[in-house]
Amino acid sequence: MNTIVERIADFLKEYSPFDHLTFQELSEIAANIRVVNLQKNKTLFQYNDVLHDSFYVVASGVIHLSVIADAEETILNKCHAGAIFGLRPFFAKNNYRMTAKAREETVVYAIPIAVFRPFVANNTEVLNYLLENFATNTPSSTDNENSRGSQISDTLFYTDKQSEMQYFQTLSYNNTPLITTASSTVSEVAQLMAEMRLNSAVVCEATLPIGIVTDMDMSSKIATGRFPITVSVDKIMSSPVITVLENVSLAEAQLLMLKNNVTHLCVTADGTNKSNVKGVVSEHDLIVAQASNPGVLIKEIKRSQTSNELKQIRVRLTDLIQTSIYKNIPLTHISNITSEINFALLKRAIELSILEMGSPPARFAWLSIGSQGRKEQLLLTDQDSILVFEDVATEKYREVKDYFLNLGKKTTLTLEKIGYELCPNGHMASNMLWCKSLTDWIKQYDNWMNTPGENSNNLSSIFFDYELVFGEQKIEDAISNVVFKNANNNTLFFDFLGNDALRKNSPLSFFKKLILEETGPNKDKFDIKTRALMPLIDGARLFTLSHGIKGINNTYTRFKQLAINDPKYSEIYLNCAEAFLTLSKLRTVEGLKNEDSGQFINLEELSKIDKEKLKNALAPMRELEELIKNKFQLTQFS
Amino acid sequence: MLEWIKNINKELPEFWKTYLAKFDKKSNRYVVISTETTGMNPEKDVILSIGAFAVVDDSIFIGDSFEVILLQYKYLHDNRLSNEFIIESKMNKLAEPEAIKAFIEFIGNSILVGHHVDFDVEMINAALEKLECGRLKNEALDIDMMHRKLNDITDKQFSLNELSEIYKVPNTERNSSTEDAYKTALLFLKLKSRLGIK
Repeated sequence: MNTIVERIADFLKEYSPFDHLTFQELSEIAANIRVVNLQKNKTLFQYNDVLHDSFYVVASGVIHLSVIADAEETILNKCHAGAIFGLRPFFAKNNYRMTAKAREETVVYAIPIAVFRPFVANNTEVLNYLLENFATNTPSSTDNENSRGSQISDTLFYTDKQSEMQYFQTLSYNNTPLITTASSTVSEVAQLMAEMRLNSAVVCEATLPIGIVTDMDMSSKIATGRFPITVSVDKIMSSPVITVLENVSLAEAQLLMLKNNVTHLCVTADGTNKSNVKGVVSEHDLIVAQASNPGVLIKEIKRSQTSNELKQIRVRLTDLIQTSIYKNIPLTHISNITSEINFALLKRAIELSILEMGSPPARFAWLSIGSQGRKEQLLLTDQDSILVFEDVATEKYREVKDYFLNLGKKTTLTLEKIGYELCPNGHMASNMLWCKSLTDWIKQYDNWMNTPGENSNNLSSIFFDYELVFGEQKIEDAISNVVFKNANNNTLFFDFLGNDALRKNSPLSFFKKLILEETGPNKDKFDIKTRALMPLIDGARLFTLSHGIKGINNTYTRFKQLAINDPKYSEIYLNCAEAFLTLSKLRTVEGLKNEDSGQFINLEELSKIDKEKLKNALAPMRELEELIKNKFQLTQFS
Repeated sequence: MLEWIKNINKELPEFWKTYLAKFDKKSNRYVVISTETTGMNPEKDVILSIGAFAVVDDSIFIGDSFEVILLQYKYLHDNRLSNEFIIESKMNKLAEPEAIKAFIEFIGNSILVGHHVDFDVEMINAALEKLECGRLKNEALDIDMMHRKLNDITDKQFSLNELSEIYKVPNTERNSSTEDAYKTALLFLKLKSRLGIK
């Protein structure tokens, strides 16, 4: 057998629906595949094209499936490695109803329908999978919002989809339930439940379910003293147990629970209590299946044990952001929720490190700085953090510092696994420089603020946007006090920050055209981060520090607050606040499209209205610059 | 120079005549080839294996492929080399004359593509000479040349691994002529679309 055939079969085996087929069958399919290379932006098939004789599997790269409705291109799905698309020829005879285009250079396997059809016919699981996939790849004209909601980029997570369609999809539930006999004692069962981290146990008699014991029964019947702990479990179980069929839908399960006022359903082979137990559906499973809703995400974060679980949650968060943006939920609201979830993720990552390393030898504070500190992180950008620990006796210092450095390293690595890239400048708690005692930090801030410019290579203004993630609030307060004490009438420092803010490259040329990157991989794109967002962020920071406004880190709220504190210029501030939102949204949309940080915007893909919006959002920046120049004498460093 | 006179009276092998007859028409099929040899000298060294894939209309046809191990017992014996891999391998094995014959039938009048393809062609020609056939008549494209043409580089050669790196073709740990042929085929597709070759 050809080695490449083997390799392709190996690749396919990893993904649905191919995992239902044997290696032999896969080899047969692989031997008939065509490998197609698509250059960036190349269209594989277009709306209304005649059907191809094959369907496709992405081998590498990304394919966007889109429809054009109301003259607007809407992305239905992003297909990554292993995703299948172009299934229309299986089920329909009329032309393609969507466009498939390579977002980046992509290799796809074209599998001839004629070769694959026999496997579909002989294998219901494959057929079901294809049908399901075909349905989610089809835009439903009546309910556009739903098809958007279901655009999960990865076909593996189909339990998270939000549309009505999915509401009737089968649930994923615990299919290895704890099974016990009627004669076991309550304490034995409780012990097992605790070990397996389950909140229910099915009581069986000769493999048939006769009842169920849940946490609820334990607390209401044992903890209250109504029954002794040594009683046999059939005394406290709920019986008969409500049974359902294996492929129960979300809607059905929910109805049954409400109707019978129970929290658990028992899954059996034929749906009655006269057959073998297959699993248990709990209320929790329903919640998980329903949505990537923020509350559930946070709850799940707190429960996660590994970086991998956290990573899954972060992926779902991205979906949540995407749906919210498409549904036009205000950006301030989205970023509030996102930062809450981000913080929960950070917190859990630190907790996991502490669980592994043992409790810390001193009190400490883990502060997020930069965009995370400002609560503006919508996309996966890099992580910036510092760690401050309380002062300890000199002889202990080394040991304590070692512990926290280690904690920093472990946590940043976990976060990297979750998907937050390491900071390229090393602004992280795992860095010797940014993990030190409170006294050292106070010295550091004193230095920065009283003699700026002398060792300015270390000073990054992001150190002035910090937010407590984990640890002692008092430590954060101490840092804030130092910052504001030093900021008071410190012209030199503001002079430095002001110059720093103005040094950013201007976004518009003399002729009011957007300045694009001239070289590098992002040639001809607009750098929205450094040219548009950073000046606003820097400006907001500068003014809040000079006005002594404490505890507000978010650029948008900073401008809003400034408008109140400094009514003379309130108009400029409010304009800046709005501009900041517009720009952030443009960046987020771009980032979601390309699955990167969204720093570089491809203007050619922007609609004319968006382009105008972008240009208008750049206008308030000028006024802000003038205001900075007027307010601070920027002489020493210019 | 007078070689053709030497051959004029000799009866050419049947498969070779069929091969020559195919060149009446022009082909739209490319065949990406890669050979594994014992060394770099076409005079002394021999081919150990050949891998090839057909490319038509911007796609690689996995089914239309060729893979063979040549049983070079004599060469290996003469040079005291191990023949373990031949015995271990599950791939199709043929003696050199049969393998070359099958290969000639597979390529037909297609355009050959390879990485430093001249050397592959030389090796095959040397093997053909032993069978008293002429030289390959196929056009041949070199992906290294294509890459250099695309980027206007004249002073440097690129290895297959370097090219894979540049065009982000995944590298595999296993190295066989089939793997190389597949990689070369992917690179060819990428270069082909960039250069706008039909």
